[in-house]
Amino acid sequence: MTDPDPSAPTPRVVDLAAVVEPDEPEPASPAADDPNLTPAQREEAARRAEQDRRDRRLVRRLKEGDERAFQELVQTYQNRIFGLMLRMISNRQEAEDLAQEVFIIVHRAIGTYRGEGRFYTWLYRIASNTCKNRIKYLKSRNFHRSVEIEDSPQAQLPAAEGGAIVTFQSQVPGPEATVEGKRMEVIVQRELAALDPEHRLLIVLRDVQGLSYQDIIRITGLQEGTLKSRLHRARVALKERLAPYMR
Amino acid sequence: MSAMAEQSPNEADALMSAYLDEELAPEEAAKVEKLLAESPEARAELSGLQNMLKLVKGLPEVEAPPDFYEKVARKIRRRRIVSMEFLGLLILPFQVLSVVLILMVAATYMLLHLDNDPSVKLEKDPTVQAPPAPPSP
Repeated sequence: MTDPDPSAPTPRVVDLAAVVEPDEPEPASPAADDPNLTPAQREEAARRAEQDRRDRRLVRRLKEGDERAFQELVQTYQNRIFGLMLRMISNRQEAEDLAQEVFIIVHRAIGTYRGEGRFYTWLYRIASNTCKNRIKYLKSRNFHRSVEIEDSPQAQLPAAEGGAIVTFQSQVPGPEATVEGKRMEVIVQRELAALDPEHRLLIVLRDVQGLSYQDIIRITGLQEGTLKSRLHRARVALKERLAPYMR
Repeated sequence: MSAMAEQSPNEADALMSAYLDEELAPEEAAKVEKLLAESPEARAELSGLQNMLKLVKGLPEVEAPPDFYEKVARKIRRRRIVSMEFLGLLILPFQVLSVVLILMVAATYMLLHLDNDPSVKLEKDPTVQAPPAPPSP
């Protein structure tokens, strides 16, 4: 991990209106007792329904001024939001600052959350807007964040030039596989960071964090067809970037 | 990929994406598989995408630092204090102005009051004669 760059611009005070959008009513999720669902889908639906109930209770308490409820909400979602930021920004310190900023915004804007949509998607919308604004801000200042990658030049060469060769056999457990796995992570993260931010966001939400199409549609506001075609183009772009490291 | 070629690029992309995510209905998936069977290029493309997805999905989950919440809570408290200080600075000129105003009103009142006070007038009026001196013994 690299140390935070002292020359980095400090995060701005966020304009709430720029990142907080009103929550919209969402179509009902499939019920856990729907006979058309597979057992795994039923289990997922039940887990999701329970999570939503819990979130609603916590949000109600937070609106009443209960700081313990805020703590529970943060601890429930901190890994997911931090993970999203880290994969988007590629810098641990910056990702932590941004993830903290997201929860500070939630704390300030909780009064505007009407409870018509899921808290989970509202939170993710704030996170993705905050992240996109930050990337735009850094880009406008021509500021290039260091991607946390292994510094050895060998690791950064394509396979044909003696660099890291990522094979799926390297995912077999063992000391060599651990080293290979780490290299693989570094390379994938670096190439992911080189994608257009819109493409990167879709890959992180869908392929890294495993969100459903429906959730991504609610977070990004994209139409289903647009999401699918854009996701495909993002995947093709990443595949081409990773091609030199795969065999 | 003749049938896929008949579709718009966006539709074909969307179909491939949904196929990779196993989000297609069985009959749509069967169509894609038929098309893949006919096209080596499409198979190569699909294989490359599947390999890439294995790498991306293999990225380890990350955890926020253990003191994450404490840092958030500290920042919220700090911002509250800063905003209160800012508010204090913002109203300071008005506080000074109100004190000055009160002083001015008080001074004006006192001046007017002095002008209207009959006893003060008496003291000032030169026509007022001094009380006669007591007769000397």
